[in-house]
Amino acid sequence: MRTFFPVEDLARDDRFNQITMRDRMGDARSVLTSGEAAGKRNNNRLTPSRKDASDAARGLMHGIFVGEIQALEGAGRTCFDFETGTEAPFALKLDMARQAWDEARHVEISIMLSNWMGTEIGQYAENTVLFEAACSSDPVLRLAGVNRALEGLAIDVFTTMKEFGDLAGDPYLEFCEDWMLADEVTHVKMGSDWLRRLTEHDPERRKKALEFQGVVDKLFSYGGTRSDSEESPIGLARRFRELAGFSDVEVEDIAAVSREALDERKAAVARMQAAATLAGA
Amino acid sequence: MADPHKPRAPFAPWDRRELPGLFDVEESARRIGNYKWAEMKLFEALGGWVATVPELDVKMRLGTHCYKHAWHSELWHKRLPELREMNPERLTQPANEAMVRFVEALTEPEAPELTIEKLVGVYRVFIPHFISAYTFHKNNTSQITDAPTIRSLNFILQDEFDDWRDGEMLIQSLIETADEVDRAAAHQATLEKLMLEAGGIAGHGSIGGATSPSVTAY
Repeated sequence: MRTFFPVEDLARDDRFNQITMRDRMGDARSVLTSGEAAGKRNNNRLTPSRKDASDAARGLMHGIFVGEIQALEGAGRTCFDFETGTEAPFALKLDMARQAWDEARHVEISIMLSNWMGTEIGQYAENTVLFEAACSSDPVLRLAGVNRALEGLAIDVFTTMKEFGDLAGDPYLEFCEDWMLADEVTHVKMGSDWLRRLTEHDPERRKKALEFQGVVDKLFSYGGTRSDSEESPIGLARRFRELAGFSDVEVEDIAAVSREALDERKAAVARMQAAATLAGA
Repeated sequence: MADPHKPRAPFAPWDRRELPGLFDVEESARRIGNYKWAEMKLFEALGGWVATVPELDVKMRLGTHCYKHAWHSELWHKRLPELREMNPERLTQPANEAMVRFVEALTEPEAPELTIEKLVGVYRVFIPHFISAYTFHKNNTSQITDAPTIRSLNFILQDEFDDWRDGEMLIQSLIETADEVDRAAAHQATLEKLMLEAGGIAGHGSIGGATSPSVTAY
């Protein structure tokens, strides 16, 4: 078996349809739709009152499901790809193995929740960007990109889904999301702790890791999917991020990046609308 | 109620533990170092394989088992300093060169069509050898002086039996043709021959018989 497994070779059964971030960014459909397409609503947050709430929640749950598979695969690869001691500490690998078990449970939970919500495996496309972030040749960059950026996003997503379950009167969904949220806080904290320990005497490596985390954060804020604004489907779970080891400054940075991404997307939608108006005139 | 001042036997009539054991401190540490190395190689392989298997149920099971073997290696890592080995890495070694070749052969399959080979290597060869080495250790070490090792062995053996059953059931569910039976058997034989050369997880004498020189009975 090779070390450093390429994203193109991720093994899936026939139900799955994989797309890249490039495919997703090239898709004319967007999470943040124009006012008209969204039924004249100015609140885009995923709540049961949204007209498309059921479908949006099902789509998000499927996204969680495939994300958990890739998180499982990424944690597993970190156990295998690096030599113990010289490339990655034994204790770090133990943490990654523990994370693999947690992610395996999350896949199980996501399958059961998807079934509960009426979704079939493979009903939505699988974006493989999470695993791509787990392919770095430096374990510190993997921890920054996956544990801090992507698992941080998972904290935001699970908090939003937990609230959705609460508002929709679905204790089954709320219960499961709460348990997964507890695990994700642990994973992010794991990433924060290891990042600090492994780069304690190597500021350059820490800088590179934080830059990589910033790139991944920005990538996942694409289209304003996640931000403090009610216009974003997913909120920023500030309290849980604090528990996971993010400093106030770091949370503010993510909020700013998310807000910027939302504004960029709104400007792009406005440009498209103006062009369509001109073309129709 | 009985008189609390009346002398009682230090060992209750039902306590049949015995003091003698087959391993001295040094031999016990050597074996545990071999166990830790082998458990590490196993959890690394299971983790690495997750991305390579298309079967969703197998993928999830490998992730779960990956952690169990990581935890076993952690238990052995923590036991080594208690056996006077203050540098656990010094004893974290393969039993011999043949064991290294066994692990290389075990982890060789990567293609998505080779799930049977991956599972056979782990659940029909590696884990059964863990079970036998651990059982031999548990049944032959001093029940009193080496009680901490026995406690870990009990936890670990429970996991090994559970995982072996999970893995064997997965293999049986994946094998659908006579050719696949042959594939599984051929791969098992290849690996079993390497394991024979290695003599088991802790080398020759893993389950008694040809004991290593430092093994003495007390």
